[in-house]
Amino acid sequence: MKPRLEIVSTDRQTTASPVVLDVDQVSKRFSFAGSGGISVLEEIGFRVRRGELICILGPSGCGKSTLLKILAGFMPPSTGAVRLNGKPAGRPGPERCVVFQEDALFAWLTVRENIAFGLRGRAMTRREKERAVDRFLSLVGLADFADYLPAEISGGMKQRVSLARVLILRPEILLMDEPFAALDAQTREEMQDLLLRLWSELSHTIVFVTHDVGEAALLADRVLLFDRAPGRIKEEIRITLARPRGKTEADYYALCRSITAKIKAL
Amino acid sequence: MIRRIVVMTQLHRWLNWLLPGLFFLIWLGVCETGIAPPYLLPHPKNVLATASSYIFGDAAPSAFAGRFCADVTASGVRVLLGFGLAVAAGIPLGVLSGRLALVNRLLSTTINALRAVPGISWLPLAMVWFGIGIKTTVFLVALAAFFPVYLNAEAGARQVNPTLLQAGAMMGVRRLRGTFAILLPAAMPNIITGLRLGLGISWAYLVLGELTGVPNGLGALIMDARMLGRIDIIVVGIIMIALIGRLCDVGLHQLLCISFKSARRMS
Repeated sequence: MKPRLEIVSTDRQTTASPVVLDVDQVSKRFSFAGSGGISVLEEIGFRVRRGELICILGPSGCGKSTLLKILAGFMPPSTGAVRLNGKPAGRPGPERCVVFQEDALFAWLTVRENIAFGLRGRAMTRREKERAVDRFLSLVGLADFADYLPAEISGGMKQRVSLARVLILRPEILLMDEPFAALDAQTREEMQDLLLRLWSELSHTIVFVTHDVGEAALLADRVLLFDRAPGRIKEEIRITLARPRGKTEADYYALCRSITAKIKAL
Repeated sequence: MIRRIVVMTQLHRWLNWLLPGLFFLIWLGVCETGIAPPYLLPHPKNVLATASSYIFGDAAPSAFAGRFCADVTASGVRVLLGFGLAVAAGIPLGVLSGRLALVNRLLSTTINALRAVPGISWLPLAMVWFGIGIKTTVFLVALAAFFPVYLNAEAGARQVNPTLLQAGAMMGVRRLRGTFAILLPAAMPNIITGLRLGLGISWAYLVLGELTGVPNGLGALIMDARMLGRIDIIVVGIIMIALIGRLCDVGLHQLLCISFKSARRMS
């Protein structure tokens, strides 16, 4: 059976939404003294519309994390440009937030203080900040762990905190760099469900980097399939399976198989 | 079971006094049996009496009676000044050098060369420069304490996980606030190590600085006692410095824990 990749979307109409992120022919070369240099990304171009969830899928070493760093503003592209709402995206800032793969929480702050960190200096009263933190604590299911330190909670909980501390800033776009890769299978599934639930509640725009085919098939509106190094967009796969996508359903399996086949053919 | 836990916690509480107690018993033993004659190692009870006279003063006039308060105050002020200077220079320079390649390049050769010079070699020079007195001592203490403070602050700042700084940047934290909100707390465990080492070394160099003829201070006490052949006073001086040094270390740690979340929660 040929996988039905072009099912009409029922849950979300994003084609008419405005473009939030415009990645315009971004290339990245790293040069080393003596040995010339290596090309990591070659002419990456794509657009993300408001409310879309895009997965960047590719084998390790294909430059997908580098691309995410460029999108976040942590490093400049060698050529090309990144535009956010039509304006050049410069230094990193709370309009483009990252959930890192590794634990990047502040070890000396409690869960509550970590989530409140980005609100410092915002024009909100203390009361408003507390209410916002409480709301996001319960959104990610950590209300009972507010006063724990990062060292005292599990890996899955840490990623929940990482998610909450950026969602509270209401970023224009959420950049996620293999955020669940280091978690065990069951926790990963819980986190994927949580992400989808938060996404449908808060309608964020998300760019999600992963090397896991199943994860991309479960989450994405569109999958950008990256070639092996140097990274290039090999193919764009639009997924229109209705959500929630059952991991046991035939359509989902067919989709995974077809993407896996494309990766093997790289 | 519960009894065992109680015993274990009791043991744990007193464990740190086990070695001092043991030393004291050995000391008592060698004196009582006469293995060590009194002119080499005075009997504990004589040392205790001397210490009491030194601290509280007594009726019998003695060169050392009641000097304790003046000595400790004088020495404490010198340590505080010297250590304070070392911290004021060591932490900012160390953090800058740990984060900025340019500063590191500028400082590392000089500082690592100076570090190789034993503190005692500065003593004659310091005496020529500053004369005999508080300035020489403060200079020696500051110089000696600077290196551990600087080196640990540098290592701490250099080893901070860059992802933490990226996370700060994406949450809208600019450089200056990032330094105080992220960099310093993240480097805190190393900074604490540097401060504790520095304070310990301060006491060591204090004695060195005070050996040079200042009228008061714990180092001066030991030197005076040597010239008068009062070995019991020397022992009292050594024990005093050990006790005060340990007390300062505990005090410093407590102070840091009270002042900084990062000190309280990461060490």
